[in-house]
Amino acid sequence: MTDVVTPTASTSRLRAPRAGAGPRGGRGRGPVRSTGPRHGSRLTPYLFLLPGMVLFVGLILWPIVQAARMSLLDWKFTPGVSSPFVGLEHYDRAVHDPVFWKSLVNTGVYMAATVPTQLALGLVLALLLNKAIAGKVAFRVLYYLPVITSWVVVSLVFEYLFSTSSGLVNHVLHDGLGIGQEPVNWLGQRWPAMAVLSMLGIWKGAGWSMLIFLAALQTVPKDLLDAASVDGAGKVRTFFSITLPQLRPVVAFVTVMLVIGGFNVFISVYVMTGGGPGDDTQVVLTYMYKQAFEFLEFSYGSAIAYLLAIIIFGLSFAQMKLFKYDEEAS
Amino acid sequence: MRPTKTLSWLALGGVALALSACGGGGQEPTTDADGNTVIKYWHAYSADSPELKTLEDEVIPAFEKAHPGIKVESVPYPYDELHKKLLTATAGGTLPCLVRSDIIWVPELAQLGTLAPLSEEMDDFDKIAANTYDGPLATTEYDGKHYGLPLDTNTRVLMYNQATLDEAGMDEPPATFDDMRKLAEGLKGTGDFAFADNDTAGWNLLPWIWSAGGEMTDEGMTKASGHLNSPESVAGVQLLVDMYKMGEIPDLITGAQGGTETAVGLPKGDYATMLDGPWMFPIFEDQSPDFALKTAPMPAGDGGSISVVGGEDVVMTDSCPSKDEAMQFIEYLLGDDAQKAMAETGQMPVLSSLGSELTDIKPYYDTFAKQLQTARPRLPHPEYPKIEEILRTEVQKAFTGDTTVQEALDSAAQQIDPILAG
Repeated sequence: MTDVVTPTASTSRLRAPRAGAGPRGGRGRGPVRSTGPRHGSRLTPYLFLLPGMVLFVGLILWPIVQAARMSLLDWKFTPGVSSPFVGLEHYDRAVHDPVFWKSLVNTGVYMAATVPTQLALGLVLALLLNKAIAGKVAFRVLYYLPVITSWVVVSLVFEYLFSTSSGLVNHVLHDGLGIGQEPVNWLGQRWPAMAVLSMLGIWKGAGWSMLIFLAALQTVPKDLLDAASVDGAGKVRTFFSITLPQLRPVVAFVTVMLVIGGFNVFISVYVMTGGGPGDDTQVVLTYMYKQAFEFLEFSYGSAIAYLLAIIIFGLSFAQMKLFKYDEEAS
Repeated sequence: MRPTKTLSWLALGGVALALSACGGGGQEPTTDADGNTVIKYWHAYSADSPELKTLEDEVIPAFEKAHPGIKVESVPYPYDELHKKLLTATAGGTLPCLVRSDIIWVPELAQLGTLAPLSEEMDDFDKIAANTYDGPLATTEYDGKHYGLPLDTNTRVLMYNQATLDEAGMDEPPATFDDMRKLAEGLKGTGDFAFADNDTAGWNLLPWIWSAGGEMTDEGMTKASGHLNSPESVAGVQLLVDMYKMGEIPDLITGAQGGTETAVGLPKGDYATMLDGPWMFPIFEDQSPDFALKTAPMPAGDGGSISVVGGEDVVMTDSCPSKDEAMQFIEYLLGDDAQKAMAETGQMPVLSSLGSELTDIKPYYDTFAKQLQTARPRLPHPEYPKIEEILRTEVQKAFTGDTTVQEALDSAAQQIDPILAG
């Protein structure tokens, strides 16, 4: 579960496109056919594939199939006890479960707050750090540092920062600047808590977008930029007419990954609010976890997981269509 | 093209088949390099107090010396993790032989078929059981059989900081609900809190509900409506919510993390009172040696001064491949030596034969022994963890002000009823 949360972990599945590789790319498709004598038997490639395949089947495919099966059964916890088939009952229950909807709304809010901000922030940082400024490398490292830091650690740090009575934020806001009558109960109320969770998500994720955009900026053809400047285009005009269109497939890629990452928010919520108080900050994955591992309703948990998968799949598909990702990227 | 495709599907199927064949199978007895039988013992003894050290450096070595050929491997987990770990190990078939289980998990584990009925498997069971207190022994019973033996017992009493009480002009610890309200009034504006607790689970709420004269269900555990949401139960929770709204209980109680912990805030004087168990004494001695911890009975409401029984049972799993050796260790844990050694660390013994020596071992057991006379156990129901989570979640809504206490308990009772009906 932890791996899916960070957008970085999923990058390998979606090939990062080369910026500006669009219509002019013209790469050859498919593997190059070997014309020389054949080495080894036909089994050889499969033997090379086997280690990766074992991991993929055992750790990803097998659980996916099991979860699908579980979601259609009234799955019993104890080994050896039979689990009756109940069809779509658990899916029906989820659709009529107000807490599930609340968790979906919270997830949506988190996504709406974090995705555009990370995109914009990542792009701005990338543009700034693409210039020849002093300490460029140090800044790049600093901004990327949150990305590789453990979610649990930064969640705990934020928890202490935003603690009501002894947190640094309230100390500065309330005790220092004298804002508000009472110290803000950040994590004990729905919207303030969602705001803190979103802030953490943005802070932790912006460096990743920055890195991808930085890489993409290197591939914007210099001759185009030179041509623009010869034609008298200013910095703003150059950015909107040359750089941004060249970055389009990368923007599409980053958006899709961030949306997937946003839907998979789990650790920060689990650590900082546990979905509370009173289910107010429950997101889909924490609610699924609560049903499965606290209430032992593994079938219901699996059904929730599948509903989330369907939503993510639908959204990603729509985005790819919207950005015409396939045609641009391949 | 075709044969290649078939081949790849075959390979995929083969991998899947090989993997699915991995699970299952009975457990073999574990032995170490010297041929000793190894018994795994899962527990949640705390490393913050001398508990863990006493178990690993005193109790287990003494047992191993007296029983050559048996080694006990102690595996500590954080308390919150142990329950989840037990459930996943049940599903995965990777349970240890022995577990020190919170008394509230035993009916659930017994119902899942995880535990071996000690009353049937252990020859000396009746003899050992007869020497334990009835209350703790009852927590091991499910469906007419005993699935374990009590290991330690405890209850929560009021722990207070007299210096903070002085600020509110109180010479004596609060003895009633009204005193608690007076304390809260008296501390207003000082920045200190009248009371602190870190959750709204049964362990935290039930002393207030019971002391107010309320209850969770009827006696037969068939219905929560009319009991959990009775005016008395509401009054118990209302006291806490009122004090929270006055700003006299810190956010900790709604599950907000990162604040000052109860065990830190009490000696510092930030918190005037808290409810906790005897294991806190060694922790305070270690962390705040200058603080004189004082205890008093749970403040009384209309229902009296009624606290909650806690404690742990030692249980043996049904999948244990070395049951005889495991039962020898259980017997040792229930003996005088082990019970006295653990009593030094705040683990209250369960042997009635040690009753008179209790205050000689540690004088602080006095308040706890008295409170235990009226203390009540939480619902001995196999789905108690789920019932408690519903109560916890609903009551949090009353603290945040989304609902009234009455509405919160109405909603909790309504959700708990179908679970009790089965």
